[in-house]
Order: sequence, then structure tokens, then C-alpha cells
Amino acid sequence: MELLTLLIVLLVALGAGLGVQWLAMCHQPMPTYPQRAPFLGGGLPETHAWNRYHVRYYPMTLLLIAFEMEMMFMYPWAVVYVEQGMKAVMEMGMFLAILSVGIVYGWREGVFKWQ
Amino acid sequence: MAVSWLSRLAARARVPVFPALGMHGDTILHRLALTPGIELVDSPRHASILLVAGGVPPDLHEALRRLHDQLPAPFATLWYRSSPLSELAGDLRVDDPEALPEALKRLHRELMSGRRDSSPRLLPDEPPNPWEGLGDDGHGGEGMMGGVPYGRPMAMNMHDDIRDGLTLDSLTVTLGPFLPVLPPGLGAKVTLQGDLVQSWVTQLAPYPIALENVFHEALQRPVPIAELELARARHHLQRLAFSLRLSGLEHLALVALRLSRGLNVESRVGRLHRRLTRCGFFRLTTAGRGRLEAGQARRVGGIAARAAGLEEDLRSRDAAYRRLGFTPVVQRGGDTNARWRQTLAEIDHSLQLAFRAEQEDLYSEMTEAVETPRGPWDDYRPEDASDILEDLLPGLEWDEALTTIASLDLAGVSEWPLEPLSETSLKDDEERQA
Amino acid sequence: MIVSELLLPVFVVLATLAVGAYLVGVIDGAIGAALGAPRGQSAWLAPLTQGAWLLTQQANTTEAPDWRAWRLAPALYLALAATGLAVVPWSPTLIPTDLTTSVVLWGSVEALATVVIFLHGWSANTLLALIGAYRYVALGLSYILISMFVLIGVALPAESLQFSQVVASQAEMWNVIRQPLGLPLFLIVGLGMTFWGPFNLADSRDLAGGTASAVSGPPRLVWNLARAAMLVAFSCVAASAFLGGWLGPWLPGPLWMVIKMLVVLAVLLLIGRLVPRVQPERCVTLMWVVLLPLSFIDLIWAGMEALL
Repeated sequence: MELLTLLIVLLVALGAGLGVQWLAMCHQPMPTYPQRAPFLGGGLPETHAWNRYHVRYYPMTLLLIAFEMEMMFMYPWAVVYVEQGMKAVMEMGMFLAILSVGIVYGWREGVFKWQ
Repeated sequence: MAVSWLSRLAARARVPVFPALGMHGDTILHRLALTPGIELVDSPRHASILLVAGGVPPDLHEALRRLHDQLPAPFATLWYRSSPLSELAGDLRVDDPEALPEALKRLHRELMSGRRDSSPRLLPDEPPNPWEGLGDDGHGGEGMMGGVPYGRPMAMNMHDDIRDGLTLDSLTVTLGPFLPVLPPGLGAKVTLQGDLVQSWVTQLAPYPIALENVFHEALQRPVPIAELELARARHHLQRLAFSLRLSGLEHLALVALRLSRGLNVESRVGRLHRRLTRCGFFRLTTAGRGRLEAGQARRVGGIAARAAGLEEDLRSRDAAYRRLGFTPVVQRGGDTNARWRQTLAEIDHSLQLAFRAEQEDLYSEMTEAVETPRGPWDDYRPEDASDILEDLLPGLEWDEALTTIASLDLAGVSEWPLEPLSETSLKDDEERQA
Repeated sequence: MIVSELLLPVFVVLATLAVGAYLVGVIDGAIGAALGAPRGQSAWLAPLTQGAWLLTQQANTTEAPDWRAWRLAPALYLALAATGLAVVPWSPTLIPTDLTTSVVLWGSVEALATVVIFLHGWSANTLLALIGAYRYVALGLSYILISMFVLIGVALPAESLQFSQVVASQAEMWNVIRQPLGLPLFLIVGLGMTFWGPFNLADSRDLAGGTASAVSGPPRLVWNLARAAMLVAFSCVAASAFLGGWLGPWLPGPLWMVIKMLVVLAVLLLIGRLVPRVQPERCVTLMWVVLLPLSFIDLIWAGMEALL
């Protein structure tokens, strides 16, 4: 039931967002080609902007995936933490320590700079 | 009826103005930034009025037409101290800086209420390359690579990347003369890989800047040192305001502009400097990039040279300055951070010199050369140095490249002095609107 | 039952977003005027006049955008803000959707926000918008971890991932005092999520408006509304997780929530104006090398607190 409410909230907000755009735009004419040119201060592009963009933070994203898996583990861990006591602390500590070594290694290798 | 109520509400909005700068156009921007009810926007798509401030040279008219057509309807163009394009001969032209804010607001109200039609489109409604109906599916393409799908080719230039050697697509664009984040008039052909600048070729030099009259007079007869130093401080404060606005510190940019408008020998810049340090301007935004070599620094001259450690300042040749105990201020490093520290140090130094010179009523004694804020004016006026960007910018990321350009004063000096804008009327502007 | 379980929650969420987005404009204008921006019209009228002007302006297009993604992106961002706000408890009984895993839902809202902001910039097929989108993703991927560690720290004493339980667990002491590192880190996450102020890598001035440089008219209005709505949703979550939600003497619960939300909102908007934009490389290094270890410390502290 609550998920249904959530879905309705999402759909209503989505509909409102699309509706405001569509209602206000449906009477407007299509812009001319010169209006559609990308803004470059009066300059011209040579090609379309879509390209094989060099994403320089790619190594950082690999480190992120490792931490994401830890996050997935932590969600149920948080709920049973107080019951489990020190055992839970030890387990999480180990996990965090191993991943922290990963961060330090990444930092030394310049993963967080734009390569 | 609902539409007219909406339009009446829209007419009362802050007027969004996109400034397209011509020669000597940026002085009016300093005034407009402080005018209530007017907002200077970053993109022409966010504006309802295109303000062409200052004369636009004829070879830039095509770029101006392209820019003009990029504003969405309804919009209008206002020409300030510049002659309208031939196709827009009927447009409003204002030459009086005090009448400009009111003219902008009136124009916006007329546009919203429908009394004025939107400005006509100047360029023909054609795609940059014909593509409709061509190619395999009528989308203009020719198989895997090639052709002009939807009017332009796809990016395919492949150069080895500067930093890590990975060969991906490069984008080449021509950044035009009217980009608000570049110095007015600077046009360049840039190749980017990702957001890193791979190559930068300056095609249009920035417009020559007009210095205040006192610098031109100093080459003919002795001038009061106080006036000279105050003019110098004003110039640096206005450059600082531009860079602060670029970094997102709008309120400090307005502080710098207000300081420059009401500058006298009693003003002090220490408070602004402390606020800049506290908010992290030096540590967060100006990284240690854009380092100038000695040869480049000497070519640019002025603040950039002194920030790179070169102790060259024509004022030390002047006996009157030596009597005031003048020694050039230098920084080490020559990067963007050093240049801003140098700028603030020089503003402070100028104000102190002005204070003491006013007390002792000193006049400059050297008339064969003068140290302008842009650089040394010895036998020749300081000239345009924007080709050092070709060596300086490759390898910098977009944000770093722009902050580096903002910290350098590259334009040449114009042979005509700046026309003085009356300063008292600004306070009336602000009081009338409040 | 239909009214109280379906219509009322939807109404509460949408009303909060609408009024909240308006208040974001008002407070931002007031802060700007206090910091020295020229005082033009009254701060109460300014968001309305600007919204009206945006509605009357023509919507811009570019040469070959990805239409569906481009027009959907602002609406999706708004929908994400609404979804995030739906799990926020206003009082022990007034909770639009009381999921047992609200923290997880909020985490997914944060992750999807990165996707939506990227889409908004990428689909315009324009250089400046594209750069804005790609460099924002670096920030987006970095703040997610900090946010999750901080929220897990808040969930530990509550022994539950439900926001209503998190608020209930603050009955003796609010989390802002119990876990002092939590709120400052979470505020930084909030600034990142809405790319506001120092973390405005997506729509910044040096990209001539970035992902919004090609947008005008009604789509731009919805985009700005969605950003403001996300700020509101984030402030409500921060108020529930750290400032004790509905807890407080004398006044009814929902009123306390509104007050706390406005306080967090004002702080966010103030930081947005006072701190300059951080350069992207520096931003990523800062997030991973300074803020992430701090969030580890916050988690360990929270863990120790919960056991003692």
C-alpha cells in the first residue's frame, strides 16, 4: 500500500513536470536552425558534441564500486548492529580497513586527479 | 485573460540582459552589475534583451548575427554606443549611461506586454549542412563514419591525449568573441579532449583596453601621484571583480566594484582581502596552474611578470616614487594563485602610496615612460599577448583554463583614453529603486 | 481510507514541494540582498515574476538533442525530489509513506539524481552542457558514499532503516549532538546533490550555464523548480535524521519539522553564496581523501555510541 502511494507520488510529480513543459510549449513555433546552434559566444562547432568523451575519473569509479558493495552489506548490518555488539564492530572494521588500503593506494597512484 | 495576467507579472521581473561586448563595452557592465532590477545572465538563452555595448568591428558582425539569432523569442536588442547592424537599423540605440537601465527596463516591459514585437531573425532558416533525405535512412549519414547526420559530422579527430595517452575523440570548436567568461573580443579555436584543452589557437585578439586619461597625461606632463595610483587600483579592482564573479563569489565581486567606484585615498582593501582568504578563494578555486615561464612573463609584463618573480616596475625609475619609499612587490610562483595575491598586494600598495602622495602633494617626475596597470609603457604601448595562451593552456582542464585567462591581463592598450563615467549618479540609481 | 492513505500523502508531498520551492527563491533572494546584491524588487515577489517570465519565454531546442531524455530530465528530477520527500515523517502519525527501508530509498534517490542531471546535460548535444554533465558525474559518484556512511551512522542507534524510527531514537538527544560530524558532512552532500554553490559543477558560470545553457522557457522553469524541490526534500531529510524531526516542546510536530527544515535550508543557501566554486579535480580529491575518512570516523563514533 505504501509502495502504491509512493508510485502515485512519483507519477504525479513526473506528470506535473511534463505537463508544465508541454502545456506552455504546445502553441510555440519550432525554433529556426540558427537559433538551435550551440552557444559558443558567436563561434561555431565543427561537429556534434556527442563523442567518445574522455572520462578522466574512470579509475575512481572502480574504487567506488568496491565501496558500493560494502554499502550494500552495511544496510542490513545497521539494523542488527546493536544486538550483535562487538562481533559486528569487528566485522565492519575489517571490511573498512581493507577498503581503506584501496583508497590510500588509489590516492598515491593519482586516481583522484584528472588523468 | 490568464495570459495577460502572466505577462503583467513577467513584465515586473528582473530584466535578464545578455551583454555582447564591443570595444570599451565592459565599463557599462560594471555599472549594470550594481543596478537593481537588472540581471546579467550567462547564456543568451536566459535573456530577454541582447545588449550590444560598445562598437563591434565589422569582421565580427557575422558572429554577432549568429549570437543574435540564438536568443529565444520574445527578445529585443539594445545598442549602447554602437551602431546597429544594417538589418536592425530600426533598433533602439542609447548612448547615455545614465539612461541605459531605464531603457532596458522599458524595453522588457514593452516586450512582455506585447507592444513591441520580438526582434526578427537575421540568418536564413537552413541547417549548417543539408542532410534531410540524404544517406541511407534520410538522416544524412553514410554508413559507419562520415556524412553529416542531422547537419554536422560526428567528432572523429583522434589525437593522443596529453595526459595519459589514451586516444579518444577530440572536439574542435571556435569559441567566439562574445563569450562572457573570456576577455571581451577574444576568439579562439579550441580542441578539447573530454574537458581538457588539447590545443588553443587564438584567432581574434581581445579588444584593446582603454586606460584612464591620467596614464596618457603622465607621458606628457607631471601628474599627481595620488590620481595615478587610484586609477591603477581601480583597474585592478575591476579585473578582480570579473574573476570573483567567474568563481561564484557574486557578493564579493559587488564589494570590489563598489570599492572601485567610490575609491579615494582613504579606502582600504584589507577587509576584502581577509574576506577572500576566509571564504577560500585562494585555496579552493585558484590552483597552482597556469605557471608562466620567465620569457612569457616578461612578454605579458605588469602584474603577471611581478607575480613570476621578475622585479620590473617602471615606477622605481621615478624619483618622486623613490621619495615615497617605493619598492616593487613581487611573488614567487607565477601561477594563478600568485597573480591574484600580487593583484591584491598591488592594490593595497597603490592605496598606501596614494594616501602618502596626497598628504605630500607629490607629482610624478618621469614623463618618458609610465607603468600602466597593464604593463610598462616605455617606447611602445603594451601590446596584445594572447598568443602565449597557445603554450599555456593545453593540458589544463576547462575551469582551470578560464580562471588562468581571467588572472592574466592580455589585451593591448588602446591609443585613446577611457571616457569618464560620472560616478555620483550610481548612488541615485540605487536610492531611487530602493 | 483512500483519502487518508492515498490522497493525503500525495497532497502533503506536493504542497510541501510547491511552497518549499517558492520559499527557496525567497530565502535565496533575501540572503543575496543581505550580502549586498542590489535590492530591486521585494524578495517575496521575485520568484513569482521570474517564474511567470520563464513560462512566457519560448522553449529552446538544439540541433540534434535526445528529445525524450531532455524533456524528461527536469520532470524526473522533480519526481525524485517528491519521492525522497515522501518518506520524511512529519509527526508520529503523519508520514506520507512509512517504508521500513526509507534510508535505502533515499540512497537510491541520490544515486538516480546523478543520472538525471547527467542526462539533462548530455541530451542537449552541446559542448558546454556536455562538459557540465560529465564533470558533475565525478562529484555525483563521490558524494554518494559519504551520504550513505553518515546515514548508516544515524540508523545505528535507531536499529532500523526507517526514518520514523530514526527520529524516535533521538528522543533523549538529537543526532547533531550525538554524532557531531554527521550534519556538516550531510550538508556537503546536500550541496552536491543539488549542485549548489561550491559544488555547482554542472550549471556553473564558467560553462555559460552548463547543462542549462541550451535550455530556456518552461523546461528551464521546471529544472529550477526541481532543483529547489530537491533542496527542500534534502532539508527535510536532514532535519529528520539529525535535528530530531518532529521532536520538540510546546509546538505541534509538523510545525517543528517546518522550522527545522527552514533552518537547514537557510544554512545551505548561505553556504551556497559564501563559498566559491571548487575546481573539479580538487573537488574529487577533497571528497575521497578528506571527507570520506571523516565519514568513516563518524560511523565508528556512531557505532561506539550505540553500543555504550
